Amino acid sequence: MNRKTYASILALTLLAIVFLTACSSSSAPPVIAIAGASPASGTTVTTDYGTLTAVVTSNGTPVGQGVSVTFTAPTAGPSGTFAGGASSETDLTDSTGTATSSLFTANYVPGAFAVAVTTLPAAGGNINLTNGGGVYSFYVTGTEAINGGPNFYALAGSVVLDAAGDVVPYGDSVSNPTGISGEQDYNDAFGLTSPEPSGDAILAEPLALVAVGGQYTLTLTTNNTALGVAGVETLGVQFVNNSHALITQFDGTATSSGSLDLQILPSTPGASFAFTLSGVDPAYNSVVYGGVFGLAATTPAPTPPTLTLTGIYDEDDAGAVSTGNTLTGIASQSDALGRGTITGTNLGGYVGTLNYYIVGPEAVRLIDVDANDSAVGSAFGQGTATFTNASLGAACAPAQCSVFGVESNSYGFLYATAGQIAATPAASPDTTDGTFTGVGDVDEEGSVCVDSVTLVPPCTIAGTYFVSGTTGQNGYGNLTITAGDLGDVSVLGIYMTDPALNLNDPNNTTGGGGALVAELDGLNGTGVLTPQTDTTPGDFTGSASSYAFGAQDFFCSICEFDYVGQGSFTAGAFSGTGLLSDPYNAFDSGSAMNTGVGFSGAPLADATESATGRYTMYTTNETPNPFVITVPAFVVTNPVTPPTVIDFNVAIYQASGTQAYWIDEDTFSLSLGSLQQQGDMSLVPAVRRARAAVKAAAKTKQKQK
Amino acid sequence: MKRLFAGLCVLALVSAISPLALVQAQTAADDKRPFAYDVAKEVTLSGTVLSALDKPAKGMIMGSHLLFATSSGSVDASLASLALQGKHAVSIAAGQQVEVTGVMKTIKEKQVFLARTVKVGGEVYTIRNEHGYPVSQHSRERASRKSAGEGL
Repeated sequence: MNRKTYASILALTLLAIVFLTACSSSSAPPVIAIAGASPASGTTVTTDYGTLTAVVTSNGTPVGQGVSVTFTAPTAGPSGTFAGGASSETDLTDSTGTATSSLFTANYVPGAFAVAVTTLPAAGGNINLTNGGGVYSFYVTGTEAINGGPNFYALAGSVVLDAAGDVVPYGDSVSNPTGISGEQDYNDAFGLTSPEPSGDAILAEPLALVAVGGQYTLTLTTNNTALGVAGVETLGVQFVNNSHALITQFDGTATSSGSLDLQILPSTPGASFAFTLSGVDPAYNSVVYGGVFGLAATTPAPTPPTLTLTGIYDEDDAGAVSTGNTLTGIASQSDALGRGTITGTNLGGYVGTLNYYIVGPEAVRLIDVDANDSAVGSAFGQGTATFTNASLGAACAPAQCSVFGVESNSYGFLYATAGQIAATPAASPDTTDGTFTGVGDVDEEGSVCVDSVTLVPPCTIAGTYFVSGTTGQNGYGNLTITAGDLGDVSVLGIYMTDPALNLNDPNNTTGGGGALVAELDGLNGTGVLTPQTDTTPGDFTGSASSYAFGAQDFFCSICEFDYVGQGSFTAGAFSGTGLLSDPYNAFDSGSAMNTGVGFSGAPLADATESATGRYTMYTTNETPNPFVITVPAFVVTNPVTPPTVIDFNVAIYQASGTQAYWIDEDTFSLSLGSLQQQGDMSLVPAVRRARAAVKAAAKTKQKQK
Repeated sequence: MKRLFAGLCVLALVSAISPLALVQAQTAADDKRPFAYDVAKEVTLSGTVLSALDKPAKGMIMGSHLLFATSSGSVDASLASLALQGKHAVSIAAGQQVEVTGVMKTIKEKQVFLARTVKVGGEVYTIRNEHGYPVSQHSRERASRKSAGEGL
């Protein structure tokens, strides 16, 4: 073979290799290189990630333009949407093989998720993203110390937090041109009422949610300088889980108790609701309302569309009771933060406008925003069931058991009551009253109900109840405790809710629903009836879980203090720490805002605990075991000022291993509050920041080594 | 020490208060509903103010209290919350003549006069409404504004 022949064979071989390679290349699937989101893979709920991009290559070479790439985000849970609100979008690659989506905006749900990226044939990958922070609704009610107080006041609002605990604007410059970070309505009915219909704006505030021991403070800077400290309100916050916290105003200008809850937005409200409100009327006397209502699209539909509200309600206005009143109203659509307006309610003949803040499709906070009257409360969905007497309580053979807690507002006749009932629905529960027996505790301005034989609480109670299933008043009912069984507590309006709701923690689907309660007998207060599903001490005082707790306490005249905290049981003894708001100086600590406050006591199960779920922490028990609050002195002195330690007589009613109510029944003090088992808190905004800080510190240390 | 001394004085005074003969004894049923207010059982008592307490002494029910001496003995009148606080507080001082309308109740095994109105110094203050429900200082202020034609 000569050189020429060799050259020809080599050329042919090379040609064959090139040909074969080319053939195999053309049949190989393209590859997607995930370029990710630009500028970041994490953003605050409601804000945009920028665009999502993916590069399609074939054998490491960009495929060139015109290849279809589909981005698909989850349709539920943490996710986002592309321009136009779609959860999926198909884009073509450009000359560099890069497919770029439209702006991708986080929805309202915090958490991690993946956007699937696919092209044909069958190549795919994920872009991993995380929505941080959350949009939270909040409400509190209590005693205002400014503006010539003590006054009644109510506050409800919505605020956006990022993952680091900063208060940040929602959306973008198009959806939120003024850059507000939240909105709220404040009403003391005594000259400090937020301007309507706008309400107050909550402004961006870095480092707004700050850890203080196991609790947090949340600073809300508003555009209303008459409120709080020159427009700045501070809340004390105790998280129960990622989506729920107990709160109190914590800045010395007011003290109160309420709840902070992650909002599910947008939400289409359910068809029927139960509600209660507590506040003051135009004469500044205490008033409560409770009832049920349905919502339906207004016809003919106005622009924008509204919902027409029809229902039935009861009222106790400073002892003047009226029941079965007609309720009407028109509900506007909610805005981006879940705030809307209900007009024309005419509650009590004078409540013109209620604003609402959506927590979710079956939970809404309500606040009366009229200048001369004020009230705040909640509306909870009723689900789809037709209620009967048998709907009340959880099975505790042979009866249906519930625990209850009701308290006056800060401007009423001050009282608190809690108890347990075992109900027996009538044979014909749709038409006949059911009956119940049980036990209860009540403290009326220092007067405590005691058993006639033992001369200590609880009092034995009995009575009748009825729950309507009639269309238009489904779940509307009443419960009457035989007069004198439980002091002056006798007639309660009860308004049934969806069993898939937890009335203390509306984002939690366990808890069994129960009913909202309004007292209608001259005393007026509001509260809840919660199905009692577990009285086993081992699941509560014997539990290894930790509990968030809080209470609203009235003492002496119209003085109030409030606290939130967390603690746990060890060998049946409870110990916790928390924040205590005390502008009226009950503890004489030198400060209205007390941190590192100690809470302790060892609940003693009643002899009847297995049937009632009741425990006591009493100075009068054979072995005294009072509930002790220890408030450190605020001013550091030399010698050191000792803390203020006050013993309280407290009874507890266990609804389950996850929730209980506690009532203080002293001559100088009364309160009602709850203990709620804590859950996952990994997504609580400032927790993430705290963890990041720990990680960063560790990295720095390693580098230094 | 001053506060402690004042408290002891009040305690001594309250413990010396004797049930009034002119007030009918309460029934057991009434005792079980301590704050149930029956306007039909109202009486008016006249006397001399001994002291006014904006906060209760130990053993008293919550709220403000007016201690006054009648010809039949001393009376602890409950003025409910806020009666002695704020701009429209009841203006009252020891030694003044007073007429108090209300209902005598047994609360915590002691006789307490739930005051509905207090007449002192030519002024009539409403403490509770006809249901026995406490009327706040703000309510009194709004009522006075209304009567002055200012509206609410």
